Amino acid sequence: MLQKPRNGACASAQAHSSRDLGPVGDTGVLNVSSGPSSSKDTLNSSSQGSHSSQTATYPGLRTQKQLELKVAELVQFLLIKDQKKMPIKRTGILKHVIRDYKDIFPDLLKLAVERLEYVFGYKLVELEPKRNTYILVNALEPLEEDASVRGDQGTPTTGLLMIILGLIFMNGNGIAESEVWDFLQRLGVYPTRKHFIFGDPKKLITEDFVRQRYLEYQRIPHTDPAEYQFQWGPRTNLETSKMKVLKFVAKVHNQDPTDWPAQYCEALVDEENRASPELSGPILSS
Amino acid sequence: MQGSTRRVGIMTDIHRRFLQLLMTHGVLEEWEVQRLQNHCFKVHDRNAAVEKLEDFINNINSILESLYIEIKKGITEDDGRPIYALVNLATTSVSKMATDFAENELDLFRKALELIIDSETGFASSTNILNLVDQLKGKKMRKKEAEHVLQKFVQSKWLIEKEGEFTLHGRAILEMEQFIRETYPDAVKMCNICHSLLIRGQSCETCGIRMHLPCVAKYFQSNSEPRCPHCNDYWPHEIPEVFDPEKEREAGVSKSTRKSLRSRQH
Repeated sequence: MLQKPRNGACASAQAHSSRDLGPVGDTGVLNVSSGPSSSKDTLNSSSQGSHSSQTATYPGLRTQKQLELKVAELVQFLLIKDQKKMPIKRTGILKHVIRDYKDIFPDLLKLAVERLEYVFGYKLVELEPKRNTYILVNALEPLEEDASVRGDQGTPTTGLLMIILGLIFMNGNGIAESEVWDFLQRLGVYPTRKHFIFGDPKKLITEDFVRQRYLEYQRIPHTDPAEYQFQWGPRTNLETSKMKVLKFVAKVHNQDPTDWPAQYCEALVDEENRASPELSGPILSS
Repeated sequence: MQGSTRRVGIMTDIHRRFLQLLMTHGVLEEWEVQRLQNHCFKVHDRNAAVEKLEDFINNINSILESLYIEIKKGITEDDGRPIYALVNLATTSVSKMATDFAENELDLFRKALELIIDSETGFASSTNILNLVDQLKGKKMRKKEAEHVLQKFVQSKWLIEKEGEFTLHGRAILEMEQFIRETYPDAVKMCNICHSLLIRGQSCETCGIRMHLPCVAKYFQSNSEPRCPHCNDYWPHEIPEVFDPEKEREAGVSKSTRKSLRSRQH
């Protein structure tokens, strides 16, 4: 839909939903207009150049600068979305960023992916094949020492998540919800009680972590009252591994991963599969 | 075209980790940036000599240029300490802060921003800001809620609060200077010395020119008879000290103590 330019400046893409783009990371990098009803519509582009709604209707007449800006927008969008750990939908990308550059979407995405990797060290990965949702996976190894120079305390919930991932794996890749709470209660985390770090632990575990695709939360069939079980979600397999989780569990117990031979073997097989994916069979249901 | 003649640097994992961790902060003081750089060098290449910070950042900025962002350096308006933030170069509109704030919260910020810019002191009172809650776009907000939102802005370093009044944090100025100058060209104040946006500072009572506190400090350093650079009248305000990072480290003064020592000036 063509936007009428206002004040000679180009309203085009920017005049859409005022929530399109926002800060890069936590740094609050500026972007986007203040919305169509703003009286001060001198916004969007700087004096250097502008998104022209007119040229956008003639693909191929886009300037180098416009293309660069579009890629820049896309990179920022992906970084921001990932900051919240919410999977990024392809439809979202098209709607909020690409818009009338749809015809060259694959090229724009390719450039953005390259920049994300080269500049920031993040890989854009498909969460589940054919689902058209993506996440960013860190190409750099996160280190414990990073914690002292981070601005956002990482996610304090990461520790809790790791514990649950450990419980799931050690229990044979699936565990009933009731057993998870039995364990967590020993740590002072209750489903019905507000926690001073985690807030609402029940919501965090059964909703937030699931939405972020770290966990799967499914009803166990034929249970009444309904019982649920946890499994690893698709993001977990992309961001960590069985071996890493086993090492975490071992560390917590002050033991060695090999002290759990069954899990250790399973983790080794998983490592091999990761190294040479073409040799692995159908996706293991873990 | 911009940057075409500038040699573009090279990214290594040191730079990438630095950027990743930098992005977890809204704004950093220089010593924090230095510490971050040291950390990244140590992690990736213990033996490499840590590059001079300025060169390191310029190198990264030469690569960020094509993405229309940069690591920008500024100084705080109250005591002239250097700060850094990752800012967007492509647009000049108000930061959405969209992932963290709702539409009505952002509008509250905009209202506070306008009051701050229009004020003589660079401060907007809590009362005056809260009186505007009925005019906000988006979901209706009560005053009590608005108070809470203002505190959120303080915590995330968009605003500074002093005795019930609010002004812009150095971070907001770094991010939004261009936008503010373009959106409020008649209301903005500028510093006579550095010619940048001025929210808080000192002004000459005779001719009205304004200067940032750190600019005053530098300009009148070791001058026993400070005079207005414009009209030559005696400068009537207390001349602050030039920021000295060494002195601060030696004093070992805690952040909270320093905050209470800073006084507001017109």
